[in-house]
Amino acid sequence: MSDTPKPRLMRPETLTAIGIVVVAGALLIPTAELRPISALLPAAMLIGLIVLSVALLAMDQRRAAKGEAPAPMTKSPKRVIGAFLLIVAYALAADFIGFYISTAITIPLVAWAFGYRAPLGLLAATVIVVGTIWLIFDFGMSQDFPAGRLWKD
Amino acid sequence: MYSDLLSALPNVFAFANFAAVIIGVIAGIVVGAMPGLSDTMAISVLVPFTFGLEPLVALGLMAGIYNGAMYGGAIPAVLLRIPGTPAAVATTFDGYPMAQKGEGGFALQVAVVSSAIGGIASAFALMLLAPPLSKVTLLFGPSEVFWVAVFGLASIIFLLGGNPIKGLISACFGVFVSVVGSDPIYGNDRFTFGALELLDGINIVILLVGLYALPPVIDLLETPLKTDGVTGSKLGTQSMWKAMPRMKGFWKTWLRGSFIGIWIGILPGAGGSMAAFMSYNEARRGSKTPDTWGNGEPEGVAAAETANNADTASALIPALTLGIPGTAVAAVMLGGLLVHGLQPGPMLFRENPDVVFGFMWQFLFGAILLIFLGGSLATNSFARLLNLPRPLLGSVIIVLMLIGVYSIHGRMFDVYMMLGFGAIGWIMDKLKFPLPPVVLGLILGSFAEENLRLALRIGRGDWGVLFQNTTSLILVALTVAVVIGPILKRRLFDAKAKA
Amino acid sequence: MHKFVKTAAAIGALVLAAGAAQAEYPEKPIEVIVGYSAGGGTDVMARTTMPFIEKYLGEGTSIVVKNMPGASGQIGITEVAGSDADGYTLGTFNLPGMMARTLDREAGYDRDSFTYLANVVNDPNVIVTSKDSGIETVEDLIAAAKENPFAITVGMSSLGGDDHFLLIKLQKLTETDFTIVPFKGSAPARTAVMGGHVAVGIFNVSEIAKFQGELNVLGIAQAERSDFAPEVATFREQGLDLINGSMRGVVAPAGLPEDVAAKLRDAFEKAAQDPEFIKAMTDTANPVEVVTGEDFRALTDGLFDLAKETWETTPWN
Repeated sequence: MSDTPKPRLMRPETLTAIGIVVVAGALLIPTAELRPISALLPAAMLIGLIVLSVALLAMDQRRAAKGEAPAPMTKSPKRVIGAFLLIVAYALAADFIGFYISTAITIPLVAWAFGYRAPLGLLAATVIVVGTIWLIFDFGMSQDFPAGRLWKD
Repeated sequence: MYSDLLSALPNVFAFANFAAVIIGVIAGIVVGAMPGLSDTMAISVLVPFTFGLEPLVALGLMAGIYNGAMYGGAIPAVLLRIPGTPAAVATTFDGYPMAQKGEGGFALQVAVVSSAIGGIASAFALMLLAPPLSKVTLLFGPSEVFWVAVFGLASIIFLLGGNPIKGLISACFGVFVSVVGSDPIYGNDRFTFGALELLDGINIVILLVGLYALPPVIDLLETPLKTDGVTGSKLGTQSMWKAMPRMKGFWKTWLRGSFIGIWIGILPGAGGSMAAFMSYNEARRGSKTPDTWGNGEPEGVAAAETANNADTASALIPALTLGIPGTAVAAVMLGGLLVHGLQPGPMLFRENPDVVFGFMWQFLFGAILLIFLGGSLATNSFARLLNLPRPLLGSVIIVLMLIGVYSIHGRMFDVYMMLGFGAIGWIMDKLKFPLPPVVLGLILGSFAEENLRLALRIGRGDWGVLFQNTTSLILVALTVAVVIGPILKRRLFDAKAKA
Repeated sequence: MHKFVKTAAAIGALVLAAGAAQAEYPEKPIEVIVGYSAGGGTDVMARTTMPFIEKYLGEGTSIVVKNMPGASGQIGITEVAGSDADGYTLGTFNLPGMMARTLDREAGYDRDSFTYLANVVNDPNVIVTSKDSGIETVEDLIAAAKENPFAITVGMSSLGGDDHFLLIKLQKLTETDFTIVPFKGSAPARTAVMGGHVAVGIFNVSEIAKFQGELNVLGIAQAERSDFAPEVATFREQGLDLINGSMRGVVAPAGLPEDVAAKLRDAFEKAAQDPEFIKAMTDTANPVEVVTGEDFRALTDGLFDLAKETWETTPWN
């Protein structure tokens, strides 16, 4: 962490608490259209979330006032964001261009991007994993995987 | 009643049925040993594929995986101090120090024997308790089931972790997720935003995979590449014959761990990790040398591993009798049973005795097989799996997550939803929000609501219907005790400390 | 990739058929979409029926059952409604549920979205009471309901399903009022009746056939007695004109070519005469009543009108 103190509202717990209050508040709106008995449990939970988050916010701000630095969420935000984006991209790829193609690309790509670069190992792993999946799921259990929306008509 | 138990036995030994248990145990150990792939996930991934199989083949696989995974979790817990399953956290306390002393092999042998003992005890509990209990389930109408669910929800208090506010936020989140979908009585949409995919509610597997598997994968990719595994040569393995005599003093711990595990399993709510913690603490309290605990005491591994296997079969007792799954794994397995036409309740043991009792035997054999299949040779090779380069392991797990979630309903919608929960799960993980309350809230929240609403309809709107009979009142008293007990205990403790 | 395989198979079949004067339906695998999970009642119906349809469509026919579960069959049937009407996508169809859903929510289909092939199963409703309810006959039930309106609780599997419509018919016919307790599915409802937590239950005969010892079965809502419970008298025998049940059949998207539709209907009619088929269906607790084509459509229309009238007078959500 750098020495310059972060603005108090940018602390992760504070941000999370504010996020919960906003989302829970927004979700409270549709409960108005439900029958009272139907709205009872969801509304109770949403109000509970709001109250608890406000308490969390207050606690975190008290700590901030004392000058305690928040624990960092991650040492390398770039790797985390990169990993998450890659996973999302993989899901989208499976959906649009097909499961097997995207899997065969993703396994070596992710491993390579995050530091494992032995070409033989990558090839072997990809072949083994894709082959096993095909053997067990497709061949053995005739389970369909996404074929790719792009190729559909 | 118990004669059906015996007549179900021969069928269990049919080749395919027995092979299923063996394959299940092996698969379970492997899956449990992979950090991020939990028992629940493995069974969840499997359930959709078992539709076409014979019931006992499908159920045998599930029973084997459940038993195997609960032990498998100990392998990385001992070798890397990464619990392979949430229930293996307590195993790290003494298992890892043992491995550092070069006794990793012995730690794993203690773990496998203890796991088997816990599993065997639990299978017997299921066999002996479920059939008679199923007879009294007719006493449980909507208002009673409502109280059982509330009792389970109250046990969230044990799962709150260090910061009660965060624990309660987790619980509220879980319960809220449980109401998404069609209203239990009227069938109109709640929070579906027009998506038909949300109408049946959010499948627990989607939430579990998102919350429990995605954060560890991100962690795997986040830490730069390094090899920190323990290689086979450093394990310090010895033959089982040499290892067994060193465990002869453990019988008390095994017995206590089994009872704790079985009891925690029966109670809806808290699951394996709590059983392991409780057993560990109790065993430590009863030990003559409490100082050695935490520094590589083999009995500590025994305590944790006995209990986290002893809750496996017993968690199915409320699931099979009342239809209320006590743990996330039980919830997924209940889904698997329903697929094969096994309806929980009083009729289960009469309608399908062969399958139900066969399933119980499979649990027992699964536990026994652990000793053979989890032996030192096998364990060595599983340990090697952990030496796979982390990025590679991470990318393989990502693929498995997608397959598992996709195959529940065969749609990508669920995969995207899982990624959403994964993002939430990662934030919760980093900010130390406990995850078990979310899962418990999701499982029991909808049960509580549905049965409350049914009870109120039966009572034609009169809330008094909830307190009308002895069964309900007993459950109310138990719930109050669960909530007040720990608070009173803390008060007393504080008072003593001050005096 | 899947599509590619299918196309390849189709081309292959075309090449093979080139020798014949004209390609004949079916020339590639037929997909039957089931809107429920594998193992459920509708799925079992489809999986039990389709081998016989394969048989009667002729040598080399292949039918693949595909589960698209979700939203009580809505996801599957919507997919069917939007598919090509070429006879290679069929779907299971449940009555009155599928029609009731067009009323109580926005559905992606209506009753004109389909070519009606055949209804296969008709599972009639029964009214049961718990042993300790003191209600043993239909007269007892009506008398008790008249004496104290809404005091009698009726357990059933859901609102807007066949159980619910039976109760509505009963209420109209006898001018009584009951309190409806809609459980999630018939199994919990049945347990609740057996435990006496609700006094009365409405089910389908296949669901209580094995439980006749634990319940009083008051009557069956069918013109004739059922093979599943031959001792149970029909409501007509007891002076109540009450006929209702849950139906499961097979439809295709609207606009199916007439010759294809005729061929499929013919296969269903032939299957209905096959004793092996009847036995297979009985073994899986599926009371068979095959109704094809126009009659199936008329059946659907009748149920839709009833559901619509009910929805307009007493909406259930």
